[in-house]
Amino acid sequence: MKNFFSTALARGLFWQLIGTLVGAGLVTGIRAAMGLSTTDTFFFTEPAWVLGAFFGVLFFIGGSGIVTDWFKWARGIDTPEHHEDHLSGWQKYLSVSLDHKVIGVQYTVTAFVTLGLGGIFALIFRTELAASQLQFLTVDMKLFGQNGPQLYNTLMSLHGMVMIVSILLGIAGIMNYVVPLLLGAQDMAFPRLNAFSYWIAVPAAVLLIMSLILGGFDTGWTGYPPLSVRAPVGVQMFFLGVFTAGWSSILGALNVIVTVVRMRSKGMTAMRMPILVWASIATSIISLTATQLIGLSFQLVMFQRLLGMGFFDPAKGGNPVLFQHLFWFYSHPAVYVFVLPGLGVISELLPVFARKPLFGYRWIAMSSLGIALVGFLVWAHHMFTSGMNEYLRVPFMYSTLLVAVPTGVKFFSWLATIWKGKLSYETPLLFVIGAIVVFLMGGLTGPPNATVSVDLHLHDTYFIVGHFHDTIFGGFVFPFFAAVYYWFPKATGRRMNETLGKIHFWIMTPSFFVMTLGMMRIGLLGMRRRIADYDPAMGFDSTHLILTITGYLIFISVCVFIYNFFNSIKNGEKAEGNVWNSRSPEWQVPSPMPAHNYDQPFEVVGEPYDYGLPGSKYVEFSAPTKSKHK
Amino acid sequence: MSHTHDKSSALSQGVVIFIYLAVLTALEYFVAVTFSAVSILAVVAVIKLALVMYYYMHIYKLNEEGESDRDSYSYKTGSNRLGLWLFLLSDAFVFAGLLTVRINLLGLTRPHLNQMLGLFVTVVLLISSFFMNRGETLMANGDRKGFLTNTMITFVLGLGFLLGVVAVEWPMAAAEGLTASSGAAGAVFYMMTGMHAFHVFTGLVFLLIVMNNARKNVYSAEKHWGVEAAAVYWHFVDLVWIIFYPALYLIGKLLA
Repeated sequence: MKNFFSTALARGLFWQLIGTLVGAGLVTGIRAAMGLSTTDTFFFTEPAWVLGAFFGVLFFIGGSGIVTDWFKWARGIDTPEHHEDHLSGWQKYLSVSLDHKVIGVQYTVTAFVTLGLGGIFALIFRTELAASQLQFLTVDMKLFGQNGPQLYNTLMSLHGMVMIVSILLGIAGIMNYVVPLLLGAQDMAFPRLNAFSYWIAVPAAVLLIMSLILGGFDTGWTGYPPLSVRAPVGVQMFFLGVFTAGWSSILGALNVIVTVVRMRSKGMTAMRMPILVWASIATSIISLTATQLIGLSFQLVMFQRLLGMGFFDPAKGGNPVLFQHLFWFYSHPAVYVFVLPGLGVISELLPVFARKPLFGYRWIAMSSLGIALVGFLVWAHHMFTSGMNEYLRVPFMYSTLLVAVPTGVKFFSWLATIWKGKLSYETPLLFVIGAIVVFLMGGLTGPPNATVSVDLHLHDTYFIVGHFHDTIFGGFVFPFFAAVYYWFPKATGRRMNETLGKIHFWIMTPSFFVMTLGMMRIGLLGMRRRIADYDPAMGFDSTHLILTITGYLIFISVCVFIYNFFNSIKNGEKAEGNVWNSRSPEWQVPSPMPAHNYDQPFEVVGEPYDYGLPGSKYVEFSAPTKSKHK
Repeated sequence: MSHTHDKSSALSQGVVIFIYLAVLTALEYFVAVTFSAVSILAVVAVIKLALVMYYYMHIYKLNEEGESDRDSYSYKTGSNRLGLWLFLLSDAFVFAGLLTVRINLLGLTRPHLNQMLGLFVTVVLLISSFFMNRGETLMANGDRKGFLTNTMITFVLGLGFLLGVVAVEWPMAAAEGLTASSGAAGAVFYMMTGMHAFHVFTGLVFLLIVMNNARKNVYSAEKHWGVEAAAVYWHFVDLVWIIFYPALYLIGKLLA
């Protein structure tokens, strides 16, 4: 336990607490001096909580030690390029490390934690929905200053945002761990910035959870004004949490782009980069730029609440629809941020398990960029019912439908790659195929929503919820699990258990199909999203019960996965060689990967995915020389 | 004009560009007070942006082929440069978002502000960019003292701009009834100038850091990435103001 308290995580959290108290105390003191009220429902006043939360993040950054080197540089003191990790075992992962592989694991495990939290939130409100009428989230109950339906709203809203943060952490985990290895780089371009990007996600997650305790918020993850202007102080914690997590995403994306542009090994021209690298670039372009707009839109609401600035208040000449434009300018492309790395993982893994070249490499590479760029032009399809100018509907409808073209390119390539391949059904491939099928369901249910005439009826129904979960499970969750099963031996030198992996897959996949199809069914029958209760006369009580059961089944399957993950670190079957018989450079060296990656540099001499072609080679390692990095 | 490392021609290039920028700013102001044509103001602003990005921020350096040894200072500076520009691109989206808010809420109207003060702080910031460029050029030629003098002037002018906006313009606007909570125009005005002022403030901190390091002799003619970064960041702050100044002070009809 003493060891735990000396880790960066524990120090950071301690200082975040101190920072929160200092910031809140400061404002309270100033307010007392000005003769304003000093306490409110949740002890401190709203401005005090906001500054407290902000100080908390700053103190976390300072206290955990991630900026020590930068402060030295600012004072003109040089530091060594690399810091070796002195700790081992779990302590290494709770401390600041500059090694992209450690940071990748930190991201991934934090993604598990937030995935679990978001899942538990979902299970709580899913249980309430199992039957009509309010069963346990009743009007009489009281928790954290909220009654049952209010708590439902908070949990529903938090489920959305906590899962989004989990996804951002998950893709950052994959990109951080894998991209430098695929490029043949020793690390990311900016190792300190990389550590910084990871560590600020931690206080961000704390702020999100704090919102639950400080009265929650009933706005959904979208935080539209005027509702978010009236919500309890919890919504401010939500705004600040998202803002901080946004910086994690922006800086991480910046690092990925610079790494890919500057750190590729010899011979790796653009058209010889692995598809996952292309996908990471596409995703990073969006997170680098568009993320600022969600940060800005939440900031504007924050200032409207604190200072009465009338951005979205029609009584003061403001415009609530403007918020939706700013918000969706990020939040639609954000779904491409979530799915593009996943689709990249599918293209990366499929040829390995089909033992065939990837079909249409150039088209696949370009389709990722195509999706990212078209993704910037579709945001207002979330606003067909919002009261925006009607002439905007049709162009946004067509731009949205256009997304189906590059996405279709990917599907054709996957099918053609599978065609006549010699598939070996190991767990990663199962999840890849699951991802393709589920993402296809998500893809096919998309165009109806994009079409104005249909969307006017489907908007804000459970059909949208079903569609959305299909795209995200197909585009992120399934490929994420595939990636973890696939690269786990690289990180640990051991394999995850195949049987448990298959149990995980075969519980999760059918449950998930039933769940989303059920969601779409009740959506078409008139079930509204984000509502704590429904009329028994609607006749879908039994479907709701089934949805709840499938929710629990998915939760159980993920528990199997988590057990398998942590158990295999120590007890998994040894796998130090090229487990999957892959051509990719990271598998040509023994696992687990040494601290500074490759002992000898490699040169790219062929195409990345020419599986099964006799005599073809992707990388060639130069003869062993004395490495200048020990 | 070629971008040469020759000291005197680099310095005189800085002067020429400054004269261009000054003339364009005067033209901008003249157009605004005489026949207020948004299209001309937009063209002038874009020309100013291009001049600053090319001649003061040296965006072409992104294309420079440095040493190929990845552990060399020059290669790392190339990566740092790309990182900084990507950061600025990201930051530009915040300001573009604020500009969108301004256009959406105010359209072709503008709040009543003190024109002379607006022009004055704009000119002060422009001159500070000139001295920043001069300081960076001198550092690139190994003239540490010249760098310190010019950066100090930049710092003082920057501080003048910051105080001009926050300590003079804000109270004046508030006294005339334009407060943060008075309406959309007030909200837009304080948010745009406030976000920009925050960046000016961080730029000033950055300048203090590089001046302090220069005093400790950390930089040389070959190795002064910190100086270059501070200068590019400072010019970026100017870049934003090139758009925000006409957007707040010059375009549209006065709000009643």
